[in-house]
Amino acid sequence: MQTIFSHIRTLSGWIAALFIAAFICNLSCFAFYYPCHELPRTQGSTTGFLLPGSRGVYGLEGYCAATIDQYGYVNRNLERSDEYYVVAGASHTEGLFIPERLRYSDLLNDMLYDDGKLHVINIGRSGNYFSVVLQHLDGILGEFPDAKGIIIETDSLAYDTKALYDSMAQAGYDPDETADSIVSSLSTRDKLVIKAKQSLPLLRLLRKQYYTYEDSKKSAGDGTDILDPDFWQSEYDGGFEDALCALMEFIRSKTDKQVIILYHPAVKLEADGTMTAMSNGAEEYYRRVCSDYNIDFVDMTGRFMQAYEEEHIIPYGFSNTTMGDGHVNRKAHEMMAEELAKVIR
Amino acid sequence: MNLHLILLLIANLIFYAFLDLRALPVLIGLSLLTYLGGRIIFSLKRKSPAKNTKPICLAFIAVQIAVLCLFKYSSALSLPVGMSFYMLMAISFLADVQRDEFGELPSVLHVLVYITFFPTVISGPIMKAKELIPQFSSRKKLTRERCEEAAWMIVIGAFMKLAMADRIAVSVNSVYSAPLVYSGPSLFMASIGYTLQLLFDFAGYSFMAFGAAELIGYDITKNFNLPYIAKNPSEFWRRWHISLSSWLKDYVYIPLGGSRKGKMRTYLNIFIVMAVSGLWHGSTFNFFVWGMLHGLGQVVHRLFTKGMKKDASGPAVGIFSSILNFLFVSFLWIPFRLPIKDAWTVFLRIITFSAGASYYYVYTFIFAAALLVVQLIGVKYSDGNDPIRPLPLSKLYGRVIFCIMIIATAMFAYFGSGAFIYAKF
Repeated sequence: MQTIFSHIRTLSGWIAALFIAAFICNLSCFAFYYPCHELPRTQGSTTGFLLPGSRGVYGLEGYCAATIDQYGYVNRNLERSDEYYVVAGASHTEGLFIPERLRYSDLLNDMLYDDGKLHVINIGRSGNYFSVVLQHLDGILGEFPDAKGIIIETDSLAYDTKALYDSMAQAGYDPDETADSIVSSLSTRDKLVIKAKQSLPLLRLLRKQYYTYEDSKKSAGDGTDILDPDFWQSEYDGGFEDALCALMEFIRSKTDKQVIILYHPAVKLEADGTMTAMSNGAEEYYRRVCSDYNIDFVDMTGRFMQAYEEEHIIPYGFSNTTMGDGHVNRKAHEMMAEELAKVIR
Repeated sequence: MNLHLILLLIANLIFYAFLDLRALPVLIGLSLLTYLGGRIIFSLKRKSPAKNTKPICLAFIAVQIAVLCLFKYSSALSLPVGMSFYMLMAISFLADVQRDEFGELPSVLHVLVYITFFPTVISGPIMKAKELIPQFSSRKKLTRERCEEAAWMIVIGAFMKLAMADRIAVSVNSVYSAPLVYSGPSLFMASIGYTLQLLFDFAGYSFMAFGAAELIGYDITKNFNLPYIAKNPSEFWRRWHISLSSWLKDYVYIPLGGSRKGKMRTYLNIFIVMAVSGLWHGSTFNFFVWGMLHGLGQVVHRLFTKGMKKDASGPAVGIFSSILNFLFVSFLWIPFRLPIKDAWTVFLRIITFSAGASYYYVYTFIFAAALLVVQLIGVKYSDGNDPIRPLPLSKLYGRVIFCIMIIATAMFAYFGSGAFIYAKF
């Protein structure tokens, strides 16, 4: 009997220790990895929101303490101006890697206006790549009918003919599907689940680690090259330019506002000390076709190269990851804001 | 006892087969050859004690080295996992039989278990036959204390490998793959990063090996003892990869005459030992240069400190010596990692403060600070030795720390290419 009690005591001691350890580690996550809760939606300007009014800390790549505005986007809590631009894109635009105010949308806002209002509305959302943003064009125009212009950010032009046509298929727009309405429609159970998730960032970090581990196993055998020159040459020899024209014509059929495509290529640091842009050669097509349809095409390639050659600035990477990889850093955000400001002015 | 050893041998072979099935016959074949050599030497010594069996021992060792060289230096064959390590253990067995270290010849089962011993087969520690084989006949009982120490060692080792070494590796690999991109100070930080990576990677493995061996009732050498607080190159080698240094001392340096045959011969012996160490690590010229430079460092240190009293200097000189030696070792890790031409380029860029991209990896600073704290604790409370002690897992705080380390490993582990660096030597 005494042995059983002894075992129970040991076991309960270990369980208590595990809980205390998990509590301490969970606490540390609030300063290291405390992501905002995501709310998906079916229609609208993006594929989803972040929980309105929430705060998050992202320290896995760069470091950022982010605030989410009342609409579910990553904007500073400033009064929205009547005169505004909308910036759409994926994680680079969402910018949860560098402090807010230093994101290119915030910098652009401060470069263009100094009245303390929000003139550049960032609706960047992870996973909302170029083609996804275009599929939500109706949503953007519906949600932001008075926008002076729309900026679409992309780090890749590797969209083939089919992808270009596919990006014209619209997700639609439902004016009632706002962050507010989605939050109000949540059941008590859903709200409790969100609260629990937000209280346990450790579990989210461990989950993320698990998926990273799974991905690392998969990518080891993945030799596909999205920039395969043979593939892209056959695309360019085929109907690529027609598809691009059709896409730009489609955009213009939807709006006559200023539209800017902000393209910042991924880069590769070479053993000989140079930096090359990871290009599939589509820039020229975009430049030409965009010009024909009065769409601004801002290509960061030259600016990035110049910054590297003259000042050894690498546009991607952080001091807690590797240079040349991952997301655009503070310096790149500055350059992107400057180039956009030039075009808008 | 024999049943236990048979089970252990099966476990060893299964473990190795998972790592390198193709090379399993090589491991078994060489183990049997080693036993045969030992048996012949032992029998001859018993039959006619006056007979000189040294040539036979050397012949068997030569065969072992030839096989190792064949795999290590041939471009057509890939080196079996852990061969550099288990080959030294095989040579140790032959040398120990030759030196009459065993009252009775260990059985073939003992020799097979010794050479294929799973905690040490990949990357050591390189256990000497006279130290490990006797333990097979008197395995230690698994007590609560041993179990606690073993578990703690495995947990610490896993954290050092997965969360520290592999995380630093990401930055080091990226810088060393394009060193011309980065500024001199950034390259210097990367070289410090590599210095830390090597320690955390290899010491992490060694901790885990120590824990695994302890769990099954055996004691193996602790391979590291705060190597980066060493005040000179000789002390560094008494603290870094201790089992290799000890092996080289016992089976190369002392047979060559050690320090008994005059100063010049001592210096020559040091160079020979360090050249062997370099060539053991790798077949390329950079490893040879790395070994020779370490030899040079030891000789220069001996020349400069000739006639000086040990510990005559104060703590300030001691700290200065440690920093100087740390920088010396860190700079020498550059040719350890890169081909000579690239290493020279990196070295030049560092000392000339070349312009380039700035990149100071945050984790290098964090882990360097953590190591510094451990070292300071070691100096203050542990007489300059490794201060890591078994956790009192019967107490709540011990269990909490233990659980925190496990969770922290899962939190900070870097998932990518994470092979042990020393497994390829």
